[in-house]
Amino acid sequence: MKKSNIVILVVIAVSIAVIVGMVGDFSTYETFATAGKRPGKEYHVIGQLDKTQPMVYDPAKNANYFSFYVKDKKGNIRQVVYHGTEPTDFAKSEQIVLTGSMGSNQVFQCSQILMKCPSKYVPNQTQMNKEIESKM
Amino acid sequence: MKINYIGEHLFPGQLGHFLIILAFIASIVATISYFIATVNKVHENRQSWRKLGRSSFIVQFGATAGILFLLCWILFHHYFEYQYVWEYTSKDLPKEFLFSSIWNGQEGSFLLWSIWDCILGTVLMYTSGRQDKKLAGNGVGWEAPVMTIMSFAQFCLASMLLGIYIFGYKVGSSPFILFREANPTMPVFQNANYLSFITDGRGLNPLLQNYWMVIHPPILFCGFASTIIPFSYAVSGLWTKRYKEWLQPALPWALFSGAVLGTGVVMGGAWAYETLSFGGFWAWDPVEIGAMVPWLLMIGGIHTLMAFKHTGHSLRSTFLFFITSFILVLYATFLTRSGILGDTSVHAFTNLGLSGQLLVFLFVFLIVAFALFIWNYKKIPEVKKEEGMDTREFWMFIGALILFLAGVYALFGASIPVWNKLFHLNMAPPVDQKFHYNKIEIFVGIALALGTAMIQYLKFKKTDAKMFWKKIWKPILVTLIIGTAIAVFGNINYWDHGLGFLIAIYILVYASVFAVVANIMYMFTELKGKMKNAGASIAHFGFGLMLLGIVISTSKQTAISHDMLGLIGNNYFPEGSAEAKHPEENVFLPRNQPMAMGKYTVTYLGDSTAAHDPKTYYKVNYVEKNKEGKVVAHFNMFPDAFVNPQGEEGLIANPDSKHYWNHDVFTYVTSVFDPSKMKDTAQYKSYDLQAGDTIFFADGYMRLNKIITHPVSPNYQPRPGDLAVGAQLEVHNNLGHVFDAMPIYYLRDSTYQNTVADTVRNLALFIRFDKILPEQKKIQLQVKQSGVVNDYIVMKAYVFPFVNLLWLGTIIMVIGFAISIRKRIFQIRKLLKQPSTSNHEEKVPV
Repeated sequence: MKKSNIVILVVIAVSIAVIVGMVGDFSTYETFATAGKRPGKEYHVIGQLDKTQPMVYDPAKNANYFSFYVKDKKGNIRQVVYHGTEPTDFAKSEQIVLTGSMGSNQVFQCSQILMKCPSKYVPNQTQMNKEIESKM
Repeated sequence: MKINYIGEHLFPGQLGHFLIILAFIASIVATISYFIATVNKVHENRQSWRKLGRSSFIVQFGATAGILFLLCWILFHHYFEYQYVWEYTSKDLPKEFLFSSIWNGQEGSFLLWSIWDCILGTVLMYTSGRQDKKLAGNGVGWEAPVMTIMSFAQFCLASMLLGIYIFGYKVGSSPFILFREANPTMPVFQNANYLSFITDGRGLNPLLQNYWMVIHPPILFCGFASTIIPFSYAVSGLWTKRYKEWLQPALPWALFSGAVLGTGVVMGGAWAYETLSFGGFWAWDPVEIGAMVPWLLMIGGIHTLMAFKHTGHSLRSTFLFFITSFILVLYATFLTRSGILGDTSVHAFTNLGLSGQLLVFLFVFLIVAFALFIWNYKKIPEVKKEEGMDTREFWMFIGALILFLAGVYALFGASIPVWNKLFHLNMAPPVDQKFHYNKIEIFVGIALALGTAMIQYLKFKKTDAKMFWKKIWKPILVTLIIGTAIAVFGNINYWDHGLGFLIAIYILVYASVFAVVANIMYMFTELKGKMKNAGASIAHFGFGLMLLGIVISTSKQTAISHDMLGLIGNNYFPEGSAEAKHPEENVFLPRNQPMAMGKYTVTYLGDSTAAHDPKTYYKVNYVEKNKEGKVVAHFNMFPDAFVNPQGEEGLIANPDSKHYWNHDVFTYVTSVFDPSKMKDTAQYKSYDLQAGDTIFFADGYMRLNKIITHPVSPNYQPRPGDLAVGAQLEVHNNLGHVFDAMPIYYLRDSTYQNTVADTVRNLALFIRFDKILPEQKKIQLQVKQSGVVNDYIVMKAYVFPFVNLLWLGTIIMVIGFAISIRKRIFQIRKLLKQPSTSNHEEKVPV
């Protein structure tokens, strides 16, 4: 057997092993209900901020506790606790991707928030009108 | 109805549109001319077509430079009638950031890319033209085919700027589009003098208002742009069926590309480290991966090229590396610009609706290049004999293969949104993104470090095993000593991912020390200090340092801010629960209240702003004491933030760091006191008083020194006809501190009564000048002191040890590249100086 063949075989073997491991790493987008089935396991949940419910961040009490409510794609609303500070322009977010796991009392414990604020990069017309008016 | 708008500056835009079309057409002419100059069978015809190709390329260079100049012109003159200007700048933006706003938008970044291609293409035209004159004889040479591909790329880039509709498809997007053209339905454009309403632009994204953003994008785009040259040479080699001859002229360009692209990627890391507050220089973000992988492949290509040059092996893989490197630059551009990364990346880009166009170009380059490669595969010469395991070329190939696989792994993860789209999947990125990549790439790092350490001790074709061990044992010994010293005293205890990963970290420490030591020793023992031949050793030495810096600073990065309040309070969670996993690294820091962090005592001393600077600076004092209580170090840091920028709510924070030779202390604010959100129950109380009177409040008193006319205060802008008085107050607190305050009362247009309150924030004191009581010769002040703590920051602090090794290593690596480029250029020059007994008579391709 030629050495190059051995090298190729080794490469293929390693690649397969790595890719299998890698796909196992990949997470899925879940809802609160499915994340609740395995409490403690981390998932991504996509949802919208429920603006009718209170957002709480009081650093004097706990600087790593930001609580808010999110409505997931199935329409379920859960309390979410993010162990950090309130992200910039959080209230205006249109969609948020939470990374975390379901904790006790159906409170979602979140370690990472990714927000989608299209308005920030693609200004819509009403917003532009408002901005121009504010500078008039 | 047609409205004649007032005050617009239309000429720069019209000229800009014209130049875009000129650049577009000139690049088509250049492509066609150079194409004919390659394929025509008659030498004289080829020469005249080449001349036409050259002049058209120069014309499109001039036009592109003109576009850039005009874009600068409208930006620097604040012509807000242009969408681009309104969107990305504002009047108060400093000059250097006006400059960086050029590449804030997609149109501008394509323009930047195009201008780099123009510059590089012109240099290439000159150098390859000169080489052809000497070496090609009556043959085709390299200028014509290579420039055909370069010109075609310029055609693609110019079309990205067109901004016209063809059969209903939007082709390109012009930076000269007018605001009213882009938003024709906005009611404000019913006014002929709408410009008098638009007095200022939206301003530059605060994250980009940083000096790294002035320098990093041009370098990175130069790197991106330069990858096309090795690509063009490789494709030209396949096209004209000269499979080997392109390597010599392509080599210096490949080295250049490796140096610049590498610098650009690391600079992006430096920007992230200094500006973005994720606390690090690398986050495995898809955008970062997209820039790094082409670099890995370029480096792989350089190594297989060297292997081929000396032994005849690895020619096919050299083709593949250079072709793929450029294709992946296009792919990375598609990833970042199409908006597909929306859910997975912090880098958000506008989707201009050009992703289809980008994909078309990507596939044109991909299909043509790979079709040529497959077509010619059998004809690409290959050495029949296998390379031995003990040869340099074998291990160079293995190294390049590892680079390739490392790139594939990273890119596969970064492309999750693409897989989702293609196969209708619902995959999300790994939950622990950093570890997902680190756990694999750490072994890549180990393998590469060992390779860079040993490769030069191996010989091409055959290595004498005895000699090898005789030479290598000394570096191994030194490595064991230094590595063990680091292991013993370095105190690396990264247990987050278990023992296995910690062991891998230690192996990487040893391996990268080995890379550093072996290459330094090689320079002295083997090269005898002849620096002009030491390019590879120096670059490898720098790479080893980079790896060492990365592994130490990442594994020893420690948060020194720990939220003790949270632990003491009712926030204790049992280990292993969902609630306990999260590091509590935000610390609440009320003003003037010292807090222990690591070996420091940290105190927040207050904030400050300056005129013409939109940022707020937070003064944070660090004191380090030794066991006897003596102060051994004290310094202030000024992390800053844009507070509520551009109508947003919240902070965009920039960290500050204190640099030591062996570590950085790194601080940033994550939240600050927001007066508007404070629920204040305190009530104003009224006081009537005259000059000399005193008012007492909870923890101090204030004295009305005098009442002055024409008061000067930053909070009050006088207008003609105002009748204004100010109450000059001296405020004392119980600790003996003295503050000034001056509330103002004024009559405007002799009817409107106004008052400008003043505050003493340290004392939470609010003072209003309510009215004048002329009969009693007194004034009425209203005073309130709010009860809540009302000045604080929430911050994080980290210590990054030895992050300087990464920056230093990068610089050294680039120096190594520069030395290699110089050497290769000299080799070509030497060839040019030889009497022209060209040993390869050129064939005219069919």
